[in-house]
Amino acid sequence: MTAVPLNDTHDDKPGFVARWLYSTNHKDIGTLYLLGGFTAGLIGAILSWIMRLELMSPGMDYFTSGQAFNVVVTAHGLIMVFFFVMPVLIGGFGNWFVPLMIGAPDMAFPRLNNISFWLWAMALILLVLSLFVPGAGGENGFGGGWTAYPPLSSSLGHPGPSMDLAIFSLHLAGVSSILGAINFITTIFNMRTPGMTLHKMPLFAWSMLVTAFLLLLSLPVLAGAITMLLTDRNFGTTFFDPSGGGDPVMFQHLFWFFGHPEVYIMILPAFGIISHVISTFSKKPIFGYLAMAYAMVAIGVVGFVVWAHHMYTVGMPVDLKAYFVAATMVIAVPTGIKIFSWIATMWGGSITFDTPMLWAMGLIFLFTVGGVTGVVLANAGVDTAFHDTYYVVAHFHYTLSLGAVTGIFCGVYYWFEKMTGYKYNEILGRLHFWLTFIGVNIVFFPQHFLGMQGMPRRIVDYNDGYAFWNYVSSMGNFISMAGAAMFAIVLIEAFVRRRPAEANPWGEGANTLEWTVSSPPPFHTFEELPKVK
Amino acid sequence: MRRSSLFAVGLLAQVLATPAWAQLEQNRPQDKAIGFQPPVTEVAEQIQIFHNFWLMPIITGIVLLVMVLFAIIIFKFNAKANPVAQQFSHHTGLEVAWTLIPVLILVIISFKSFPVLYQQDVIPEADITIKATGLQWYWDYEYTDPAGDPEKTLTYSSIMLDDAAAAAAGKPRLLGVDNPMMVPAGKIVQIDVYAADVLHAFAVPAFGVKIDAVPGKLNQVWFKVDKPGIYYGQCSELCGALHAFMPIEVHVLPEDEFNAWLIRTQAEYAAIDRLDAVQLAVAN
Amino acid sequence: MSAVEPTPDNKNKKLVLNLSFMVIFMLGLAYASVPLYQLFCQVTGFGGTPKISDVAADEVLEREITVRFGSAVSGDLPWRFRPNQLTQTAHIGESVLVSYQATNTSDQPIAGTATYNVSPAKAAAYFVKLDCFCFTEQVLQPGQSMTMPVLYYIDPAITEDRRLDEIKTITLSYTFFEIKSTQSAALIHAANPTKRP
Repeated sequence: MTAVPLNDTHDDKPGFVARWLYSTNHKDIGTLYLLGGFTAGLIGAILSWIMRLELMSPGMDYFTSGQAFNVVVTAHGLIMVFFFVMPVLIGGFGNWFVPLMIGAPDMAFPRLNNISFWLWAMALILLVLSLFVPGAGGENGFGGGWTAYPPLSSSLGHPGPSMDLAIFSLHLAGVSSILGAINFITTIFNMRTPGMTLHKMPLFAWSMLVTAFLLLLSLPVLAGAITMLLTDRNFGTTFFDPSGGGDPVMFQHLFWFFGHPEVYIMILPAFGIISHVISTFSKKPIFGYLAMAYAMVAIGVVGFVVWAHHMYTVGMPVDLKAYFVAATMVIAVPTGIKIFSWIATMWGGSITFDTPMLWAMGLIFLFTVGGVTGVVLANAGVDTAFHDTYYVVAHFHYTLSLGAVTGIFCGVYYWFEKMTGYKYNEILGRLHFWLTFIGVNIVFFPQHFLGMQGMPRRIVDYNDGYAFWNYVSSMGNFISMAGAAMFAIVLIEAFVRRRPAEANPWGEGANTLEWTVSSPPPFHTFEELPKVK
Repeated sequence: MRRSSLFAVGLLAQVLATPAWAQLEQNRPQDKAIGFQPPVTEVAEQIQIFHNFWLMPIITGIVLLVMVLFAIIIFKFNAKANPVAQQFSHHTGLEVAWTLIPVLILVIISFKSFPVLYQQDVIPEADITIKATGLQWYWDYEYTDPAGDPEKTLTYSSIMLDDAAAAAAGKPRLLGVDNPMMVPAGKIVQIDVYAADVLHAFAVPAFGVKIDAVPGKLNQVWFKVDKPGIYYGQCSELCGALHAFMPIEVHVLPEDEFNAWLIRTQAEYAAIDRLDAVQLAVAN
Repeated sequence: MSAVEPTPDNKNKKLVLNLSFMVIFMLGLAYASVPLYQLFCQVTGFGGTPKISDVAADEVLEREITVRFGSAVSGDLPWRFRPNQLTQTAHIGESVLVSYQATNTSDQPIAGTATYNVSPAKAAAYFVKLDCFCFTEQVLQPGQSMTMPVLYYIDPAITEDRRLDEIKTITLSYTFFEIKSTQSAALIHAANPTKRP
């Protein structure tokens, strides 16, 4: 704190080191998360590109070992989940806009916020390091999937230190997220500006509140599970080792008790963002605000009691499977409420289809497709056919890659001027959307077909009977990669041209508090608290 | 070293030498297909009926509904066509409807879903039980003696053929194995699935069968295939470097042929001094 | 940092304390779940865990149930392990003695332990073991072969469970693992005190 001098003026920024290394300013930390997250996202995208290149045609074209491919699959999953989607949505947009939207001058614990970020950065470094130390079979890296099921992740399957580094990485990322969650909850509960009751709070803040509680309750379970795995590996405990009376299936229960809320952690903030975007561009208030807020709460609550639908083939008693079928399908109800409420928000509106709106509508459509295949997979009887096939890969990429990531880009374009102070080029932005939208659909839609024909996931080479749709899928990957390149062009163009931003470029529809401050906002915002009627 | 590689050589020769099996119809994944592999068991048929005639129409309907609503919104409520936005934000009737109608649809789905699930999980009285053990990275199959003598148990390893061998044997690449699993047609076959090291999963899409192989735990699945033929599956749980290369090849034989195979192979197996084989494996 | 202090510090402190408690509680729950899960399985037969009892059934019924005996050995344990009978048909409630045969095919003494489960899992709650080799660790000397007994009965209460009416066969399965911890050396030493572990 000593590094930040006390100032009476609004916009006296500290020097570079003090501003970015010791940063305690929510907007600066948000920017750090966005920069870090997109860097990690680029690594994750390159990994996916490598996988699609390998899978473009039958035969081992680029990889010489299946283990190396497994390492790439695993790293892609871990990086995208923990180091792209979560930091960008929660660390990036959450830090930037939760205080702005609720009229708070900063987060409740600015220094804790700084610790969160650097723990996260350390975690990313550890994960990258784990790729370059021995894992299994004399090869580097951990190749047991992001789910890290033992015994493949225990000393039997991966004796090398790579897995230990990956565990430490998740520990740090987990601590970072838990501290962040505490910070968000405290900020939202205690620092709302006078007059802003919980029931008047913007939906993005609501989504962050629910997400923070999900993090708080699910991450300790993951931390516990991977710590048990760590001691199993190194200190002779047998939590998951049957030779000492442990049960490897127990790890799966613990992992998915975290893992299922985790998928909502990734999508709920995106839901929050597009709620604002749709309302803004329809020039209408959000339809069924309270139902929207409580639907997120319901999704969060039910998300904790459905975990074993990821484990239908593990050999569970049939009555238990039946319970998880029923519980899982319940989630479709609040999700449906959200989808239809968004449509009703647009209904009767006077809509301009600017770039953020395109991404928002894209998300609704793609999430609907991912959602209905989720209903298919919820049925344990049918899951027998789909479990661990490409159908599942298609399903969760429709909800996450096309859902959460679409939400991320929606947020980027919606708040671009607010964050950077520059305008992006509308035509380039739309081009980015269309390239990505078409590309990802061509990547993932054919994977449903592959899954139905029985192609297992996480395989480096496949029978020639799966050749055609894999080829199509890889072609789609080239298109979405062109989309990613277009995003780089959008950024470069905006920062070269430096068209000055307006405080509120979206007009009457944009009525949350972040549009009342300048673009970019002053270093310290809301030193005088705004009043909400 | 693989436990019965010595024995595998003998079996391989036998597989290749028996012309009757070459006449079995091969069922393999079809390129450009957009649906399931043809079902050959009652269970797989029920899965596909439930998926194709219940789930698919429902989810297609939902997606189409969203698309139609989107189309209306785009054409009717764009800023040009509708310059002044309406300001409603509530409609109790609608909100109740889009809560209750999905509930109703989900109840209908569950109603059709549970019978499919219970049909798979309740294993009928088996005619024959085969033990399948997943190892890094191949399967071991074990047949008990029909007369009940534990000493006459038949065990062999099933290892993927490399590309050249698969082509020579006329089997699909990455799916063909040296010693396939043999089962009788028209009989209820129960598979006891085990794992000897990490997790694996025993899966044959055409049978509608998939179950994890978990170390220290027995899992069971069953199938009854009436139509003789050759069916393929793959390990379906990430198990390490060669996860992509531990396929499952099942030959469904007419009952008399199966019985003849079992007796013949048991005899051949007995001829090999098993203790030697075991010690050989340990020495390696 | 800023002149504005919208909330009193103690309000924040109390909330953080509560939230931290939730984190610690969930962490504790993760650890507690391991023994709780085992206990739950033993009490309810969940996941195919058979029951353990000291007393035989108090009645024997007409209805018969066949038990199949499965066996497996972990890939790194050089033991042969087979049931001495493939199946055993007995009346419900009747105490049955069966056995497995284990042989150490290596030239080292090895300590092993067996996990077990019953399939279908829903039958496990009615599968009662009176005595079993799996209750203790086993040590086999090089080349040694040992008969390992199991004494069990099927609980007559099975007839009251409608979900199990169609069941005629239950599979009991064991998998042997090598004990790898330091405990292993002590066990081998105890079994063969003349040799240094």
